[in-house]
This record gives sequence, C-alpha cells and structure tokens, in this order.
Amino acid sequence: MSNMSADHVAKVIAFLRNERKPEDVSLEDVMQLAELMAEGFQQFFKSMDLSVYSELGAMAREIANMKDELCRLNLTDMRNEHIPMAGRELDAIVEATEEATNTIMSAAEEIMGADPNEIDAFQVLVGEKVTEIFQACSFQDITGQRISKVVTTLNALDKRITTLVDKLKIMKIADLPAEESEAEKRARDLMLHGPQFKGEGVSQDDIDALF
Amino acid sequence: MALDTSIPVLVVDDYKTMIRIIRNLLKQLGFEDVDEASDGTEALGKMKDRRYGLVISDWNMEPMTGYELLKQVRSDSSLAKTPFIMVTAESKTENVIAAKKAGVNNYIVKPFNAPTLKSKIEAVFGD
Repeated sequence: MSNMSADHVAKVIAFLRNERKPEDVSLEDVMQLAELMAEGFQQFFKSMDLSVYSELGAMAREIANMKDELCRLNLTDMRNEHIPMAGRELDAIVEATEEATNTIMSAAEEIMGADPNEIDAFQVLVGEKVTEIFQACSFQDITGQRISKVVTTLNALDKRITTLVDKLKIMKIADLPAEESEAEKRARDLMLHGPQFKGEGVSQDDIDALF
Repeated sequence: MALDTSIPVLVVDDYKTMIRIIRNLLKQLGFEDVDEASDGTEALGKMKDRRYGLVISDWNMEPMTGYELLKQVRSDSSLAKTPFIMVTAESKTENVIAAKKAGVNNYIVKPFNAPTLKSKIEAVFGD
C-alpha cells in the first residue's frame, strides 16, 4: 500500500497536468501514484463485483416471482379451453344467424313469388311463411346466450392481462411498434373497418350531400 | 323519365346473403337481369365479357376490393362510363371522398332499404 500523503499526491497530479517542476516530483513519486491508482481500481472492481452479484441475484428472484405470478394466472386453461371455446361460440353464432337469415329470406322470397290472385292458396302460404319467419327469429335468444359466454371469457382474459401487467410493472414501458405484414398493410391501406356504432361516422344524408 | 329496369346489373359482394338481399330489392324495383360476383377480380372479368348498365359493389373484399375495382373500371376506356354505386357498412367521410375522387356515382351505407336503393339508382341515372 502506498504511503503518499494527500498533499504529495496533489503535487504529483499537478506535475502530470503540465505544471511540471522537476524539483517537486521524482520518478519514485510517479510510480507510487501509479500504485495508488491501481489500489484504488482494485477497490472499485471489488465493490463492482459485489453490486453486480447482488443485482443478478435480485433479477433471478424477480424472474422466479414472475414465473409464480404467471402460474397463478392459469394462462394454460385460458389458452387451451376458454379462448377456443369462445371461438366455437362465435362460429356457432355466425352459423345460427346465417341459417335464420336464409330461412327468413326463403320465406319472404316464396311470398314474393306467390300469386296473390289465388287468394285462398296465397293466404295459406303467407300464414305458413310468417310462422316460419317467427320461428327463425328465435335465433336471437340463442345467440344472445352465446354472446354472453364470449363476453364472460373476454372479461376474464382482460382481468388476467391487467393483473399480469400490474405484477410485471410493464405499463411504464413504451409499446414497441408492431411489425406489419404485407396483408396487414394492405388491410390498413385499402380495407374499411366495418360497421360503426350509433353516432359514429356520417349518415346517409351527410353522404348524399357530398354528391 | 321512368327508370330503365331492363339494364343488366352486376352486384359485387363477398357475402352471399347481401347479394341475395340486393338481388331481391332490385327485383322489387323491377330489375330482373341481375348478375353477381364475389370480389373485384371476378367482377372485372365479368365486366370484360358483358356490358353492364350498373355495378353495385361492396368495398371490403379480397383479393380485389370494391375501391380497387372502381379505379380499374374508371381507368379502362371500355368500362369507364359504367355507373358504379358503392355499398359499405362503414361511413367515414374520408372514404366517401376517396370513392368520389375515384369516380363513384353514388354511395350507400348498410343497412339500407328499397327506397334508398331506388333513390340512389335514380340519382345515378338522373331521374
């Protein structure tokens, strides 16, 4: 360990900063300063080793905690059961509405195509077809129940994602822009986004005013 | 001037039910000669084979959208004058303006009824 005094060290440093006075500083002084610096760096690296070690330990504990939190969220049953089930419910809704629409339209087409001059036959046909239309409208009750199940799944998913975001404290991290495929870019540039909610978009009257 | 319902009409939509609805509404209005296509590419092929008096097209279709079909039709000198009505579920001003700039004759928002369809067709033909 070097035994240079602080005053002496200051002189050597001043010398090295070009205020060189050969009578103040010897080669031995410079070597002692180098020794002193090496000792200083050793201390620095030792403390750095300890802090890095403790940081890595904290990270490992944090990763283990995250793993536990993820396990508690039961994401596997969400992925394997609830989300596929919601998909099947939505498919069934599309199928039911399509079936009902076809039934209603076929009935309406038969009424449109019937001869109203054949009064008795026309009345019987209209009665039958109107009953078919009423029956087909029962799809609304069934699809309503299916939609409720999908909404329940979406709410559960939302709750779990929110919990995960809270636990991982990732809300402060800025979202990275998602990579866009060619199909997504085409959809963004050329496709419309489907029906709007009431009060959104412009009305037919507003559109008419543009023509 | 009465609406000429003898003209052949091409309905373009990828949703069969919507084609069926429009076909029935057109039938109610007296149009009997109605053809159909499920996207812009099929429609363009049909338009090259037959001269239609009116095209009623949806916007969202793949592989060719109604908007792309409209631009193709307007850029083809043999088809450019075909009356073209766009029918969409979304009604944003910028889309209507884009379609108008591309040369659409009229624009209908879904859902619509027979009187609306009739009034737009009449407007296109200046009745």
